[in-house]
Amino acid sequence: MRHVRGFDVARPLSIAMLVFMMMPLVFLPLASIFIFGTSNGLDKFWAALTAPEAIFALKLSMATSFWATVFNVIFGLFAAYVLSRYNFWGRNALIVTISLPTAIPTAVAGFALLLLWGPYGTLGRLLTPGFQIMFTAFAIILANIFVTFPLAFGVIKPVFDTMSHSLEEASATIGATRWQTFWYVTLPSLRGAIVSGALLTFARAVGEFGSTILVSGNLAGRTQTAPLYIFAKFNEGQIEAANAIAIVLALFSFLIFSVLFFARDWLDVD
Amino acid sequence: MVKAKETLIPRHEEPASSAPPSPAAASVIGLSKRFGKTSVLENISFDVAEGEVLVLLGASGSGKTTILRIIAGLEMPYTGKVILHGKEVTELPARERGVGVIFQSYALFPKMTVEKNIGYGLRIRKRKRKEIRETVNELLSLVQLEEHRKKFPSQLSGGQQQRVAIARTLAYKPEVLLFDEPFGALDTQTRVHLRREIRALLKKVNVPSIFITHDQEEALELGDRVAVLNVGHIEQIGTPFEIYNRPATEYVATFLGAANVLDAVVREDSLEVGSAHIPATLDKTRFQSGDCVKVVFRPEDVSLNPGDIPRSGYPRLANALIEEIAFVGAYERLRLRLEIGAEECKTDETPFYLTTETPDRQPTKSIIATRPKPEASTTRLHVGERVVVALTSFTVLPPQVLKGAN
Repeated sequence: MRHVRGFDVARPLSIAMLVFMMMPLVFLPLASIFIFGTSNGLDKFWAALTAPEAIFALKLSMATSFWATVFNVIFGLFAAYVLSRYNFWGRNALIVTISLPTAIPTAVAGFALLLLWGPYGTLGRLLTPGFQIMFTAFAIILANIFVTFPLAFGVIKPVFDTMSHSLEEASATIGATRWQTFWYVTLPSLRGAIVSGALLTFARAVGEFGSTILVSGNLAGRTQTAPLYIFAKFNEGQIEAANAIAIVLALFSFLIFSVLFFARDWLDVD
Repeated sequence: MVKAKETLIPRHEEPASSAPPSPAAASVIGLSKRFGKTSVLENISFDVAEGEVLVLLGASGSGKTTILRIIAGLEMPYTGKVILHGKEVTELPARERGVGVIFQSYALFPKMTVEKNIGYGLRIRKRKRKEIRETVNELLSLVQLEEHRKKFPSQLSGGQQQRVAIARTLAYKPEVLLFDEPFGALDTQTRVHLRREIRALLKKVNVPSIFITHDQEEALELGDRVAVLNVGHIEQIGTPFEIYNRPATEYVATFLGAANVLDAVVREDSLEVGSAHIPATLDKTRFQSGDCVKVVFRPEDVSLNPGDIPRSGYPRLANALIEEIAFVGAYERLRLRLEIGAEECKTDETPFYLTTETPDRQPTKSIIATRPKPEASTTRLHVGERVVVALTSFTVLPPQVLKGAN
């Protein structure tokens, strides 16, 4: 590459090219949500956003994602602890199994859950007719757990692996119980991994569509999450309603990834 | 162990080292350990007296770290007992033993400040805030880290981190302090400085301590006593002076610095090394006339004089030819070929030790000698010159000492 008095042409050119390539792929689709959503005036937008069914869908999404996140972080922590501290026969098989849900299409995941817990499913038929799991909020949580299963684990386990074992040994010789060691020594070192694992899980769960639509029944005001609401309203031709929620979800993911990106220093603070 | 000539050098009179004043602060009795079918420790026993510093010295793979981990409760022995202040703790988990371990990596808690690290032992013991604060302040001033109290371990130098690690264990008044190669990660200058500091600190707090190291200089300087380990058993325990000057086995002699080893035959009032004779009276209960023995001496125990008369009355060994002279800073090192003919007692076993300064014993009969600077500059010697060799001090070992005997 030719350098003209220290000016490298490749630099601005390649940056411009990168931005140009990302335009139709990412920027423009995102921008159009905001342009269309607000084109009929902010009043319309606000009305669409505060429609009872819309509010309900957003709340349901947040609540089901929250519980799935709580479960998966605790489970991921536990699984990472067991799988990095102990070596046993079948350990690798367990690691692969935990990571498997990322590779399974979400529709397949939802279908599998239906086959297990549905009214005529393997386990579902054992439940009393009055207490069914499928087509309730629990089903959505179950689907979220399944789909986001490996995310927190995947972030926490490497930190466990690289953590020096002598820290825990030191704590034990100082006189700490296993629980104290975990609470005061191990957990603080995992803080960053736990927070980023939780955010990733939550973001992924809020956006989940494929499995949710199968297991929830998509009942407006009862089991309709935000992504299902967008899909339903779009099918009904109510573009503004779908658009308002789409904006909220897009902003929400911006927020989560900004936290992940800009709080990195805080999360990894020594 | 027999000193050939008791009067050759003035010996420091020290209390009998094999029996430390009772009661022992820490002892291990008959410790052995296996990993699978490999035995890594065999019948290890020793005591550490109150306030004493014992150094376990051995090459890597000698089992010294395993001993430390067994005492700390991080590893279970196959057989044997660990006793701390008269109480058997072999079955107790690490947290109930009250030992302080200073890990090679220091193992400071990265998310806690210096203060929090030091106070950790008291915090988990649910002590009162005020008591914790006072103890932490005391220890911070003891290890001279007051101005660093709010820092995190990653902001400290290696030496400072180590002082925090020591303070952290002292906080809960451990029964015994265990140091796992504490200077391994530091550069030579810092090591020397730190070990003096730590030696002084340990004498101040008077907590019995066990160090492990592979560095002989460190062992000699730090230890009140030193235990030399070799592939899982103790070769010798003694004061630094004893193990350096009166090694019980050839391994100890060669592991602790350079040593010359010659085969010899015991005669009535001398030792016969090939055609040469060293006048010496040996303990009749241990050596009999005709026995094959080894004569061990340090390079600095060799006295050289040009011509044919040995220096100031030391017993003459033989004439020698200077093969090489090297200037090594503080002293001059010479390699000499002894003119002593064939040694009569050649033992078949050829021990092989990784001591770079120990010359090949067979068949050249080369020995290494060192001369301090003043002597080297007043009496100049040259390669190819003939000198007379005398020994100022030496140790006689039976050639095949049983494992662990001393």
